[in-house]
Amino acid sequence: MTGARFPMFRRRNYSIRQKLTSMNMLVSGAALLLACTAFAIYELADFRTTMVNSLSTQAQIIGANSASALLFNDAESARNTLSALQASPNIISASIYTRSNNIFATWSRHGGEDAPLFPGIPTGQTLTYSFGGNELVLTRVIDFQGKRIGAVRIRSDLSEVSGRLVRYTGIVAAVLAMSLFAAFVFSSIFQKATARPIAQLADTARIVSREKKYSVRAPTTTNADEIALLIEAFNEMLGQIQERDSALQAGRDELELRVVRRTAQLEAVNRELESFTYSVAHDLRAPLRHIQGFADALIEECSGQIDEAARGYLTRIIESTRRMDQLINDLLGLAQVGRQELRVQPTKLDPLVNDVVRDLNHETQGRNIEWRIGDLPTVDCDPGLIKLVFHNLLSNAVKYTRPRDPAIIEAGQQTVEGERVIYIRDNGVGFNMKYAHKLFGVFERLHRREDFEGTGVGLATVQRIIHKHGGRIWAEAAVDRGATFFLTLPTAGQSKTL
Amino acid sequence: MTAPAGSILRLRRAAARPSIRACLAAGLIFGGLAGLRAQTQKPTEYEVQAAYLSNFGRFVEYPARTSAASDVFNVCVLGPDPFGSLLDAALRNEAINGVPMAAKRIGTPEEGAACRIVFLTVSKESQLTAILSTLGATGALTVSGMPNFARRGGMVQFILDGNRVRFEINLAAAQRARLTLSSQLLKLAVAVRRAP
Amino acid sequence: MSEAASILLVEDDPHDVELTLRAFHSENVQGRIEIARDGEEALDYLFCRGAFRSRTPDQQPALVLLDLKLPKVGGLQVLREVKASVECQSTPIVVMTSSGERRDVTESYRLGANGYIQKPVDVAEFRKAIRALAAYWLGVNLSPSRSRPGQVSAMPAPGAR
Repeated sequence: MTGARFPMFRRRNYSIRQKLTSMNMLVSGAALLLACTAFAIYELADFRTTMVNSLSTQAQIIGANSASALLFNDAESARNTLSALQASPNIISASIYTRSNNIFATWSRHGGEDAPLFPGIPTGQTLTYSFGGNELVLTRVIDFQGKRIGAVRIRSDLSEVSGRLVRYTGIVAAVLAMSLFAAFVFSSIFQKATARPIAQLADTARIVSREKKYSVRAPTTTNADEIALLIEAFNEMLGQIQERDSALQAGRDELELRVVRRTAQLEAVNRELESFTYSVAHDLRAPLRHIQGFADALIEECSGQIDEAARGYLTRIIESTRRMDQLINDLLGLAQVGRQELRVQPTKLDPLVNDVVRDLNHETQGRNIEWRIGDLPTVDCDPGLIKLVFHNLLSNAVKYTRPRDPAIIEAGQQTVEGERVIYIRDNGVGFNMKYAHKLFGVFERLHRREDFEGTGVGLATVQRIIHKHGGRIWAEAAVDRGATFFLTLPTAGQSKTL
Repeated sequence: MTAPAGSILRLRRAAARPSIRACLAAGLIFGGLAGLRAQTQKPTEYEVQAAYLSNFGRFVEYPARTSAASDVFNVCVLGPDPFGSLLDAALRNEAINGVPMAAKRIGTPEEGAACRIVFLTVSKESQLTAILSTLGATGALTVSGMPNFARRGGMVQFILDGNRVRFEINLAAAQRARLTLSSQLLKLAVAVRRAP
Repeated sequence: MSEAASILLVEDDPHDVELTLRAFHSENVQGRIEIARDGEEALDYLFCRGAFRSRTPDQQPALVLLDLKLPKVGGLQVLREVKASVECQSTPIVVMTSSGERRDVTESYRLGANGYIQKPVDVAEFRKAIRALAAYWLGVNLSPSRSRPGQVSAMPAPGAR
């Protein structure tokens, strides 16, 4: 666990419970390990010192006991003294040296050892030792009655030390394992107070967000800590959401109701409007027909009895009725456009416009008109209504270019600020941009009737159609320099549902 | 295990090189022995004995003495001195418990009162009993190389064992003189007589 | 002497009647024109009942011009009944009315009308329409009651019945 590299520790994969447990185990493990290591190091260091002291003492004793042997040159006796070291199981061999550092006597546990050379003792010190290999070699002077008469050298193996080390490691490992286990157990027990509520909270949150069920609540705990606070706040929040939801729903329901009522109202109004239009269509026309009919009869049959002036008046009466008839038709057309459902489909404008141009042929007989129809896009639209749009616009262009020879009428598409725009341009009489805002108003005309006929309803109808398609229409012109009408329509595949 | 021959010479704090020292010692011993009725022994024997004499005192507990001899530790030779300068050389700069050691030649046992150790030469063998009884009162350690010395009441008797100088101890005699001999010394002895 | 009428005009508005007759006159349409002033009268005439008991079913008009807005029985109802009946269903009926509404047109054809004309306000246009109407229905077209085209009787003066 400790010392593992980070890939294994990808924190986001571990639950809170696991994290808490592993944290506990890590902490206790690390603390224990540190403590045990510190103690072990201390112990071992201490033990070294102890060993040195013990060996030094033994050397001292040996020295004291072999003083006489040295003084009286009794190597046998010295060796006997040394052999007492047999009792110390760690001592491998020992030697006594004379004052002139020659070997005097040697004892070795396993026998057959060469007399080792005297390892020097630095002047001023009474002993010297070294740890090397698996051995401790200690050399001590033999002082007798204030005089240095020789030295004793003892070789001890460190098997006890390593034995201790092994035992320490074993104990540390065992303690570590047990404490980790205990940490694990306690952690598992105590996570009930911490990780479990959090895990439950997380579960609840997951349920809420997945199933959008705001009626669930996270289970509360009996604690009074931050977790309990969190759970309480969470539940409260859910409650508020529920309230808000139901308020929202109530609002929506009410709106629905209102919409339904409003729709019913609108439908009623629409129906009224329809029947109104229907009546208009019939009942307004009949008297018109009569007026015109009898005025004509008057002219035809009473031509002898009426003078020029009277005939003139009658003619104007007839003209007015014609005009009114046209107005009624146009108004009906405008109303129709408003009522009608759009039947949108991808429509190629090229053939459509060419159709319109052909239809206008009877109006353009005898006129020199240069048609410049460019590539037009395919758009999502109601073909019938859009045909009407082009009919109106192109017929206007034809009308207002009457003074021109040749009349140049263009239609095409261009990109304006990243948007695709269809344009219809003519080199006709144009209009004053001062009145451009009136252009699409019903009955609004920017030219006098005697110059150019028209009811003033055509462009209103065109605008209504374009708006119904979600597009825009506008115009630019200059007096006597022609006019350009721009319109936008959704390209095929982009249509909005209205 | 016998120590190599040169080690005995190194018991002294001699600064000189061993080979020169050996020659010198050998020469001295030869010279010293020239005037004596020499026993059949190796030339270094007296040197060893002198060395022993200088060390015996370290292993002996003397009773409190009232005589003035307590400021010098005298090692006396009774009889014609067989050591020559060897004894002086061995005792030079030596001290026991801070008390400097010195070699002294005495002619009569009564002079032994000033001695801590008295070495009896072989010539005194005939008067041994009388000498010992006199010396017994002085509280000095009696040492000699004469045969049966220990059996006849001497405290330490030098014994030649091969080419090694060893000694026999008569503990009872030492105890009579109220001398306590360290066990360290006793264990080195060839024999220890305990019975009076 | 009663002759088979060529045209039955079903129209309630007297002005419209006069104007229509005037148009027929100015276009020199040959043949008698009978007028029915409402739907009931039209049905009585066609089914030879009521006031027209004396008529015989084989004297069906060559063409019926039917207005839709009629009192008593409406034009569509007349159409329905006539086209549903066995004896009269083959009589050609052309709806001639002010309305150009799509639903009127479709309903009329659904009920079996043989044609539909929207009465133009403009006199000239009206005259043109009448001309075309007469030329076809009384000229080219062979009605079930006649065997040869072109045979019409002299038209009475306008206003006469």
